[in-house]
Amino acid sequence: MAEDILQVEDLTKSFDGNTIMDNIHFSIPRGELSAIIGPNGAGKTTLFNLITGYHLPDSGKILLEGRNIVGKQPYEIVRLGIARAFQRTNIFPRLSVLENMVATVISNRQGALNMVTPVKKLKAVHERAYQVLESVNLADAAERQSGTLPHGDQKRLDIALALALEPKLLLLDEPTAGISPEERWQTIDLVHELWQRLGITMIFIEHDMDIVFKISQMIRVLCYGSLLAEGTPAEISKNEKVIEAYLGVEV
Amino acid sequence: MNETNSNRKNYVWGIIAVAVLVILPFILITLGKKGEYWIWVTTEMIIMALFAASLNLILGFGGMVSFGHSAFYGMGAYTVALLIKKAGVPFFLALAAAPVMAAAVAAIIGWFCVRRIGLYFAILTLAFSQLLYMIAFQWYTFTGGDDGIHGIHRPEFFGPVSYYLFCLAILILCLLVMRMIINSSYGLAIRTTRENPERAKFIGINVQNYQLLNFIIAGAFAGISGGLITELNRFAQTEFLHWGKSAEPIFASLVGGMYSLIGPVIGSTILMFLKIVLQQVHQSLVEIWALFLGLILLAVVLFAPEGVMGLRQKFLKKL
Amino acid sequence: MEISFLLFQLLNGLTEGMILFIVASGLTLVFGVLRVINFAHGSLYMIGAFLTFSLSTLFPVFTLGPFLLLMILVPAAVALIGLGLEVTLFRRIYRKEHLLQLLLTYALVLVLDDLVRLIWGGDIRNVSRPPLLAGSVDFVGLSFPSYNIFILALGPVIALGLWYLLYRTHWGNLIRAAVTYPEILGALGTNVTRVMTGTFILGCALAGIGGVLMSALANIDLGIAMEKIIECFAVVVIGGLGSVGGALLGSLIIGVGKSYLSLFLVRLALVFPFFVMALVLVIRPWGLFGKPER
Repeated sequence: MAEDILQVEDLTKSFDGNTIMDNIHFSIPRGELSAIIGPNGAGKTTLFNLITGYHLPDSGKILLEGRNIVGKQPYEIVRLGIARAFQRTNIFPRLSVLENMVATVISNRQGALNMVTPVKKLKAVHERAYQVLESVNLADAAERQSGTLPHGDQKRLDIALALALEPKLLLLDEPTAGISPEERWQTIDLVHELWQRLGITMIFIEHDMDIVFKISQMIRVLCYGSLLAEGTPAEISKNEKVIEAYLGVEV
Repeated sequence: MNETNSNRKNYVWGIIAVAVLVILPFILITLGKKGEYWIWVTTEMIIMALFAASLNLILGFGGMVSFGHSAFYGMGAYTVALLIKKAGVPFFLALAAAPVMAAAVAAIIGWFCVRRIGLYFAILTLAFSQLLYMIAFQWYTFTGGDDGIHGIHRPEFFGPVSYYLFCLAILILCLLVMRMIINSSYGLAIRTTRENPERAKFIGINVQNYQLLNFIIAGAFAGISGGLITELNRFAQTEFLHWGKSAEPIFASLVGGMYSLIGPVIGSTILMFLKIVLQQVHQSLVEIWALFLGLILLAVVLFAPEGVMGLRQKFLKKL
Repeated sequence: MEISFLLFQLLNGLTEGMILFIVASGLTLVFGVLRVINFAHGSLYMIGAFLTFSLSTLFPVFTLGPFLLLMILVPAAVALIGLGLEVTLFRRIYRKEHLLQLLLTYALVLVLDDLVRLIWGGDIRNVSRPPLLAGSVDFVGLSFPSYNIFILALGPVIALGLWYLLYRTHWGNLIRAAVTYPEILGALGTNVTRVMTGTFILGCALAGIGGVLMSALANIDLGIAMEKIIECFAVVVIGGLGSVGGALLGSLIIGVGKSYLSLFLVRLALVFPFFVMALVLVIRPWGLFGKPER
C-alpha cells in the first residue's frame, strides 16, 4: 500500500542451519507506533538486524517506501531514513555526550568529510544537538564522558542518537531493558511523547507487557521465526494462540 | 576536564617548548664537532616525532593497530632518494613528491587492509609492508637492494643548524595540520569509528571509507618524515622499510600517550633518549636495539598501557 | 611442459605446504581457543630450526635415529619455551583489549628474533639429512628427494593426529567448542586454564615440529620467522582463523602455488602469498570457509 512505510515480504534467515526467520510478511503504515513481542530467541533482534542491513536475509524483500533495501550497507540504510536504538547501549564511550550527538548530527546533515572547520565552530549543529538532548532530558550531562553515565542515561543517549538522524522509521530494541522499574515508565512516556510530537513511525521490541499494551497501536507477535499474530492490543489479548504460546509467561 | 584552562596551559607550554627547540641548535653549534653530532641527533628526533605522530592518527585516533607504517616512511625515503640521485630533481620538489607517493602506496595497501577489521587488519598491514620491503630488497637495479641508495646530494644552504630548523618547521606545520584535521568534523567521525565502529555505521558513517582516508593521510605524513630522514643521512636503505621500524612509532605513541597529539612526540623523544643513553653506556649495545625495544614495549604493554600521558592523568587525579 | 615435471613441482609444493600446514595449524588453534594471535609463532618455528641445528652437531653421526629423537626433543623444548611465555606473559593479557594483545606478541617477535640473532649469529645454517633420507627416489623419470617423501608422509600423519585429537577426544571437543563459542569454557566448569595452556603448548609444539622438518629441507637464516608468519597469515586469511581444515587448504594452496610460480620467476613465488591474500580479500573477505561478517 502506498502509505506503508515498511513492507517485509517473505523474509527468511537461517544461521548455521537454524531457521531464525521463516517467511515473515507484514506491512507498517506511516506513523504507526507498534510493538514486536515474542519469547526470547524468537528472532526479534534478528528482524531489526535484517531491516537495518546488519545481516543479509537468505531470501525475501524489505521495502522502505517501496524501495527494496536488501543488500544495502547499514550506513546507506541509515541515510535512507531508518534509525535504531540498541538493546545493549551502543554509544561512543570516551566521547562526551555532546560529542556523541554532534557527530551524529554532522553525519546526518552534511557528512563528515570536512577536515578544516573546527567542530566547535559549527553553531547550527550544536544547536540541533542540544535540542535533541533536551528532548530526552540529557542536556545537563552534555559535557560528561558518555561512558561514565548511569545505564538509564546511556539508554536515553542511545535513543537520542537515533532521533538525531531525523529518521522516517525508528527501531527501538528493548528501550527499557536494564532500567529500574521507576525509570521504565519515564523512558516509555518519553518515547510516547516523542512519537506524538514528531510523528515518526516507531517499532519497539519489549518484554514488559504492561508497557506494550498501554502505548502501542499495533502488536506483532514473533514466535520462533514466524509471525504468530498481528493486531491491536485488544485483538492480541484475546488471541488464543498468543495466550497459549506466550502471554502466560511473566518476564 | 576544564577545556579552556588546560588549553591555555598547553598553549603556553607549547610556546616554551618551541622556543627552547629553536634556540637549542644555536647553543649546540658552539660545542664544535660534538655539538654538530648532537644537532644531528636532535634533528633525527624531530623527524621521528613526525613519524610517530603520523602513525598515531591511525592508532590513537583511529583505534586501529597498524604494523606496517614503515612502508610509507620508506616510500617517502626512497622517493626522495631516487628523485634526487637518479633524476636530478631539486630537493624541495623531491620532498613534495614524498607524501604524494607515500599516500599512493597507502591508498593501495589501505584499500586491501580496511576490508578486514581488528586482528586481520593488523596482520595485513604487516604483510603488505613486508611485501614492499621484499620488493625493495630484490629490485637491486632500481633500489640498490641491500646496499640502498647513497651519496644523496644536499643543497649547500642546508648546514646542520639550518636543516634542523627546517625539519622543526615542517614538524610544527604538520602537527598544526593534524590538529586541524582532528578538531574537524572528519576528526570527530574518525574518533567515533575508534570508539564504536558498529555504532558509527548506524549513524550513517561509511566506516571503511573513513578509515581508508585516515590511513592515506597518515601515510602521507609518514612519507614526509621518510623524505626528511633521507636528506639528513644522505642515504636511503631497506632498513627503513623493515617491519622492525614500525615498532618505533608504535612504542612512541604507546609510551607518550595515544589519545593526544603531543603524546607520540613525547614518546618519540623518550625513545631517542633511550637510544642515546644505550649508545653512551656501551657502543655495541645499539646492536641489540631491537631486543631492548621489544622488552620495553613488553613492559609498557603489561604495566603502563596508558602511556606517559595516561600516567600523568592518573597522577593528576590523585592530587 | 612434461606431465612428470609438473607432477614433480606439485609434490614439491605439497611438501612445503605440509610444513606450512603444521605451523599454521598451531597458530590457528591458539587463536581459536585463546583468541590471541601469536605473532611470535614464526619466531618459535625459527627457534625450532636453529635448535635442531645446534643439537644435531652434538651427534658424531647424524642418522635417522638422532633425527627422530630431535623430532621429539625440539618440539618439546619449543613447547616448554611456549609454556614459559604463556605463564609469564600471555596469561596477563587474555582479558585485555585486542590492541594490547597484538602489541605484546609483536614486541615478543622483536625480542625473540633478536635473541636468536645474538645466540646463533647471522650466518646461514643447515642440517644435513640423515643418510637414509638423504637420497632420492626415481619417480616417473625424475629424482624426487627422499626427505620430501618423508615430509609428505609425515604431514598427513600429523594432520590425522590433529583430526583425531580435535574430533575424537574430550579435550578436542572442548577446543572446538571454544572456537565457536568462546564463553563456553568457563560455562562448562572445565579447568579453563588447563585447556588454554594445553592448547598453547600444542600450538608451540607444532611450530617446533615445523622448524625441525624445515631445518633439513632448506637453509636456516634469520628471515625465516617473518617469512613463515606472513605465509601463516595468508593461510588464515584464506582458511579463516580457528579452522584447522581451512589451514590445510590454505597451506596447500600457498605451497603448490609458490612451487609452480617459481618455475617462472623465483621472485613471483615469494610474492604469491601476498597475491593470494589480496585476491581473497577482494573476492571473499571473510575467507573461503568463514561466514560473511554481516
